[in-house]
Amino acid sequence: MASPGDAAIDTARWNQIQAAFHGAAELTADRRADFLRECCGDDRELLASVSAMLEEDERAGSLLDRDVAYLAEQVLGRTNSSLPPDRFGPYRLREVLGEGGMGVVYLAGRDDLGSVAAIKILRDAWLSPERRERFASEQRTLAQLNHPSIARLYDADTLGDGTPWFAMEYVEGSSLTSYCDEHALSIPERLRLFRSVCDAVQHAHQHLVVHRDLKPSNIMVTPEGAIKLLDFGIAKQLEHLGRTADQTRTGLRLMTPAYAAPEQITGSRVGVHTDVYALGVVLYELLTGRLPFELAGLTPGQVETAIVVQEPERPSTKARQSDTAPAASKTSWADLDVLCLTAMHKDPARRYKTVEALVRDIEHFLAGEPLEARPDAMGYRVGKFVRRNRVPVAAAAFTLAVVVGLVAFYTARVTRARNEAITEASRAQRIQRFTMNLFEGGDKEVGPADSMRVVTLLDRGLLEARTLGAEPAIQAELYETLGRIYQKLGALTRADTLLNAALDQRKKLFKAGSAEVTGSLNALGMLRADQARFEEAEQLVREALDGSRSSLPANHPVLAQATFGLGRVLQERGRYDSAIAVSAEAVRLYSASGAKPTPELAASLSQLADDHFYAGHYDASDSVNLLVLPMYRELYGQRHPLVAGIVINLGAAQYQRGKYAEAERLDREGLAIIEGFYGGEHHETAYALTMLARALIFQDKFTEGVPALQRALAIRERVFGPWHPAVASTVNELGNTAFKQGKLDEAERHFSRMVEIYRKVYGEKHYLFGIATSNLAGVYSERKDYPRAERMFRQAIALYTEAQGPEHLNTGIARIKLGRTLLREGRFAEAAQESLAGYDIVSKQSVPGVSWLKNARKDLAAAYDSLKQPDKAARFRDTTSGTR
Amino acid sequence: MESRGTPPTHGLTSDELGTMVADRRTLDHLFSVTYEELRRLAASVRRDDPNASLSPTALVNEAWLKLASSPPFMMTSRLHFKRIAARAMRQVLIEAARRRGALKRGPDVVQVTFDEALQKGNSGADDLLALDAALEQLAQVSPRQATMVESRFFGGLDVAETAELLGVSEATILRDWRAAKAWLAQEMRP
Repeated sequence: MASPGDAAIDTARWNQIQAAFHGAAELTADRRADFLRECCGDDRELLASVSAMLEEDERAGSLLDRDVAYLAEQVLGRTNSSLPPDRFGPYRLREVLGEGGMGVVYLAGRDDLGSVAAIKILRDAWLSPERRERFASEQRTLAQLNHPSIARLYDADTLGDGTPWFAMEYVEGSSLTSYCDEHALSIPERLRLFRSVCDAVQHAHQHLVVHRDLKPSNIMVTPEGAIKLLDFGIAKQLEHLGRTADQTRTGLRLMTPAYAAPEQITGSRVGVHTDVYALGVVLYELLTGRLPFELAGLTPGQVETAIVVQEPERPSTKARQSDTAPAASKTSWADLDVLCLTAMHKDPARRYKTVEALVRDIEHFLAGEPLEARPDAMGYRVGKFVRRNRVPVAAAAFTLAVVVGLVAFYTARVTRARNEAITEASRAQRIQRFTMNLFEGGDKEVGPADSMRVVTLLDRGLLEARTLGAEPAIQAELYETLGRIYQKLGALTRADTLLNAALDQRKKLFKAGSAEVTGSLNALGMLRADQARFEEAEQLVREALDGSRSSLPANHPVLAQATFGLGRVLQERGRYDSAIAVSAEAVRLYSASGAKPTPELAASLSQLADDHFYAGHYDASDSVNLLVLPMYRELYGQRHPLVAGIVINLGAAQYQRGKYAEAERLDREGLAIIEGFYGGEHHETAYALTMLARALIFQDKFTEGVPALQRALAIRERVFGPWHPAVASTVNELGNTAFKQGKLDEAERHFSRMVEIYRKVYGEKHYLFGIATSNLAGVYSERKDYPRAERMFRQAIALYTEAQGPEHLNTGIARIKLGRTLLREGRFAEAAQESLAGYDIVSKQSVPGVSWLKNARKDLAAAYDSLKQPDKAARFRDTTSGTR
Repeated sequence: MESRGTPPTHGLTSDELGTMVADRRTLDHLFSVTYEELRRLAASVRRDDPNASLSPTALVNEAWLKLASSPPFMMTSRLHFKRIAARAMRQVLIEAARRRGALKRGPDVVQVTFDEALQKGNSGADDLLALDAALEQLAQVSPRQATMVESRFFGGLDVAETAELLGVSEATILRDWRAAKAWLAQEMRP
């Protein structure tokens, strides 16, 4: 047997030993001795080793033969290791000073120097050997921070088992916020104190140390009024301890959420800007007496969403609500708002670049000078964005109206069927709008890079949620919140996964009629609507409503949301009368919430206006829209796209009434707002241009109308690609315009392209394909290529009948058109039959004065004349003379 | 959870953990995370349930359950995790043994104990420390066998797994194990 002090063996030796061992082990006992003697010769050590090994091999009683569990029991044991050592190093623990999230703080004495120190021992924080090394070296750096306002770090190390501890300067005093309150300091006094804090932080930054955990409890004020900052840089070392799988242990949740910067939550780069943020929050608290976000009672998921996405209330507003906040003048508050919110900006790039910059503005303020920070650098629209409801898509419907087919002597009609292409286009528009508003104050367009930033931000949040391993209820909450945000950003697949997961979990955790399940059902229903899966959408929303009517109070916000959601789905499905009733109910529910208009109320009113519009109640639609307009102006400002949307909706109603000059005026107004908001190359602008062009063309103002359309087309081709329904609808406009001007070849070109796009995108059974076919057929009819025209019209009619029903407006219009072609061919009996059939269908759904019907009557009169049926002819002729 | 990828079949030294792991730093990180998780698990078992088992194999399995889907371990196979965990578990146990105020051995410094009344029943602790020292010696002359012992004993890998890990046949494993075990045993005798 070897003993310590023997020369270590080397590999060659080891191989020798093994060879001997294996050789001997294979032999029977009697042969062994001889073998060994032979193989070891004079080498006594070799013999001894191998013999000992053989003996152990026989006995099989060593440690390695036992189950290691037994050993583990012995060493890991059941003892309580929660008692700290009495003393370690030169320190002797005296008493407990307090307990924080990280661990316990003791007062300790130093025997050698006779001084005291505060020792913080971190419970449950076992550093692996590698990390201990890193920890130690970083603490050495920190110990070199020497500033009167920074509590000295004397020492830091780990106990034998890896538990970290710190020895720091012992500071007596109160936290910054308590001190200010106790002494009832005025705002300028608070700012001066705050400036000292900033000076200390700045000093640390110059030494490349970031605090990462600034909060009032880390900012002490001594009885003499001096500042002392605690715990510098400690958070960094311990950050990774909280990032392994088991995040639910509260001891490892090192961040104090209220003061955590968005990038700390999402795991992005932390730096000087993070301390600036925390200082901003501290300042907010000093000025208002409250924290910027009310986080009490929120789940961790909600907390994180609040910090990352929600816009804080301005300090001035918050201070007004509290009676303990110190007073200041109105102009002062304006500047204080800027100070605070710039420091606290969600986007690190928009904060004060350094603490020094913050200090400079504080000094400006105290001297009564203007600040360097700009007011429009703050005001992150994200909060508003998240609250905002779906943008009304009534304006989008007019593209559909145009698509129905505009032939010179027919008036355009709005069809009531909603069009999936429109949904697609409007959804794309909504998404772009939202992502842009996310980052800027809405005054300039931001490219896709920034919308990706938000998605990335959320992806990180999602990863956090997944590794959270938290209770199912919390996870469900987080999934739901994130799912909704993804949905608004247009990341529908992610949203789908998340919302489904949230719903599944909630169904397990909560009762069927509960607010949670109802909310999730509604959210998923709205997603389905966005995905144009309307039947499922309706099912889900109805499930939400039916389930909760008896269990939730009537004015519960989730009920109002679900009602609003059902209204939307009904509208999308073309059931306008039902939609009107439901949307009106949603309005009623939202009105109950108070005197001031809320975005939800305005959105539900807007939806109601759209329902009326589609149902053909233009006057009702206008009156409601006129209620929404001032609300949107107040909520979002005069030059906001939502305002433009309502203006354009009013224009559309005028258009329907045939008041094209009025429509033109309104469309111009809407376009001006939209172009001012989005710029000249944006698809929203393309959209508004198309609306205006329509109104112009209907007044035969081609010189302005056609270029506007072409511009719109160019933009849409660029944004959506050549095979998009939005492109098809613009092409359709151009085709109709060309037709109106008698440019048949051009019209044919445009309509053919439209046919191709719809064939590719929707297939040959889709009614939009029918419309394109019908429009193209109109060109052939005009060119006197009657057989071809007839064939195509019949094809369209068959399609409409199949896809939308024999009584549908489109079917009626197509039959009228077919009737005209047959009339031109001289097939009067057939012409009369078709025109009459079409007339009957259309007149049930339109006012008689409209030109579809005017021209149908004209055709019928002509047909009956030719058929020598004068009384029938007279019936139709009387009405064509202009009076009803 | 099984087989996130087939581990390579070439031979491995005790430092190398396969092509899945990119570099030293990643290795260290994985090790650190595993170590901390095992410590945490061991401690939580202690406190919560006096009847719960502290079997290292169970702990390793539980650690794998927790860590398998977290970002650092996405690219790690279960086998490789067990290898890392074995090393980490050894560390955990050795430190725990040291904490028990066990015997001095060579240059190892005994750390101050955390717990007061721990002088009884130290044989397990002593044994572990002795094994640790002997294993270090073995590693100098035959890294592969040291890895093998570490993985089998502390990580609970069976013969087949060990063979796969080290890229040798099962027969080789059995043979090497026998020799290593015998040698270590006689080294450990006082």
